[in-house]
Amino acid sequence: MAESAVRAYAADKHFAPATLERWLALPAAGRDALLDLCVRLRLGENQFRDVLDDATAIAARHTTTVAAIVTGAEIAAVLARGQGRNETIKALKTALRRLRYPQLVVAEQRLRELARALRLPAGIDVVLPENLEGDAVTMTLHGRSAAELRAQARALAAALAGTEIEEMFAVLEGRW
Amino acid sequence: MKRFEPQVVWIDRDELDTPIARAVRGRFRGPIELFSGSAPIGRRSVQDGKRMLVLQRHRGGFLRHCPAGTAGLVCCNYLVVNLASNCPMDCSYCFLQDYLADAPALTAYTNVGEALAEIDAVLRAHPERRFRIGTGELSDSLALDPLTDLSAHLVPFFAARPNALLELKTKTDCVDALLDLDPCERVVVSWSVNAPTVTAADELGTATLAERLAAARLVQARGYLLGFHLDPLVELDGWEHEYASLVEAIAAAVDADRVAWFSLGSLRVSPPLAQAMAGRAAGGPVAAAEMVPGADGKARVWRGLRLRMYRTIVERLREAFPRAPLYLCMETADVWDQVMGEVPSDRGLGMRLAAGRAW
Repeated sequence: MAESAVRAYAADKHFAPATLERWLALPAAGRDALLDLCVRLRLGENQFRDVLDDATAIAARHTTTVAAIVTGAEIAAVLARGQGRNETIKALKTALRRLRYPQLVVAEQRLRELARALRLPAGIDVVLPENLEGDAVTMTLHGRSAAELRAQARALAAALAGTEIEEMFAVLEGRW
Repeated sequence: MKRFEPQVVWIDRDELDTPIARAVRGRFRGPIELFSGSAPIGRRSVQDGKRMLVLQRHRGGFLRHCPAGTAGLVCCNYLVVNLASNCPMDCSYCFLQDYLADAPALTAYTNVGEALAEIDAVLRAHPERRFRIGTGELSDSLALDPLTDLSAHLVPFFAARPNALLELKTKTDCVDALLDLDPCERVVVSWSVNAPTVTAADELGTATLAERLAAARLVQARGYLLGFHLDPLVELDGWEHEYASLVEAIAAAVDADRVAWFSLGSLRVSPPLAQAMAGRAAGGPVAAAEMVPGADGKARVWRGLRLRMYRTIVERLREAFPRAPLYLCMETADVWDQVMGEVPSDRGLGMRLAAGRAW
């Protein structure tokens, strides 16, 4: 595909010069693979930059190319689902995040499993630090009466007597 | 390692007879241009700024607190004296790419005497305190030494001061000028060291690890204390093995009892630095790490993984260097607590490092 097609797409979407420059600096295969993706999903500049950042980092991690990542099996599977544009972009971001942060995604998954294992009743929310960049687990009780809150508090106390909560903090502290 | 040869040296006319300018004029065989007022170098990138050398006075104070002492982070009460700005080497993760974007010319300051007088006044005013002072914040401490002979001024000065340690922090093997000087136990030559893969891909123009360790062995034999900064730690595939082999290589090369300190710091990347890094031609393992934005806006390897890295490497270091002090650079109290099992006060940490007391 010609460089002019990339320029035309960037101009149509009002990409900043620096973003276009990064795109054009890629080898032709990566440049074209990203253009295919952009055209297919009508990506705006911020979405494009996120994809480029992720694909570049993943390529560096796996010692491969941006083209290999963008045309790889994980992204192909997302595109093959035939979902609408917004759902596909969301799934694309998830797939890229899984590739870029493999250990973080595994840790988050483990924490979600442990939170489920607490078997907390409805009305108690468990919030983990964003990107696990923090040391606190927040639990919020939502009650519409004193009795409801007391019941939640009892359930929470019982849940916290188990080992799951210790393991949750162990994951946050890098002890796994 | 190839010695730095600028394409051109610019010297302020008024500084021609300063010791630094005389040294450069005597050693540099390339073109030398003179200027008055501001060096006429125009706008250029930080990378372009590395290809020249400007010699001029530094205006304003020289000595200041290390900026790592940001609120919320445990500080080691380190002082920095900036006798140069920018660095001839080109590490992909270097904060100077952003920090010096508006003043990129590689510059060595000529009024070293004024800097030493300022330091002397502070040391005399506080004889009860022990200071750690470094020259490696805005430049490499030794990269320009073959041209400027700056060490010949710094080492004797600190050798005669009982309440200060000078730290010369480097990624070079430019130690020749140090070998004929007597540091009198007052000078720490420290090396920033990293996993071999990081050094090869992300530290362009620096000495290899083998060259750095050979230089460390040389200066240690001449009475210098050694420091090692495992900073930035990079989360790359196989980091456990790479950093373990780094610790083994250091242990095999130097006398463990004469290491003044080790520091560890996780890679941190501000948004402007991330932009500068994205514009670079090739990304090594640094670009691939699992980094997420923190509360201060800088991206770091996410906390659990960072803690795991610190603990693993600290354990290795404690096995190999049981008496060497270790500290974390630019980390929060809770990370200190998790990794080191305590949170020292800023003053306490500074005093321990200055005294060389092991953890």
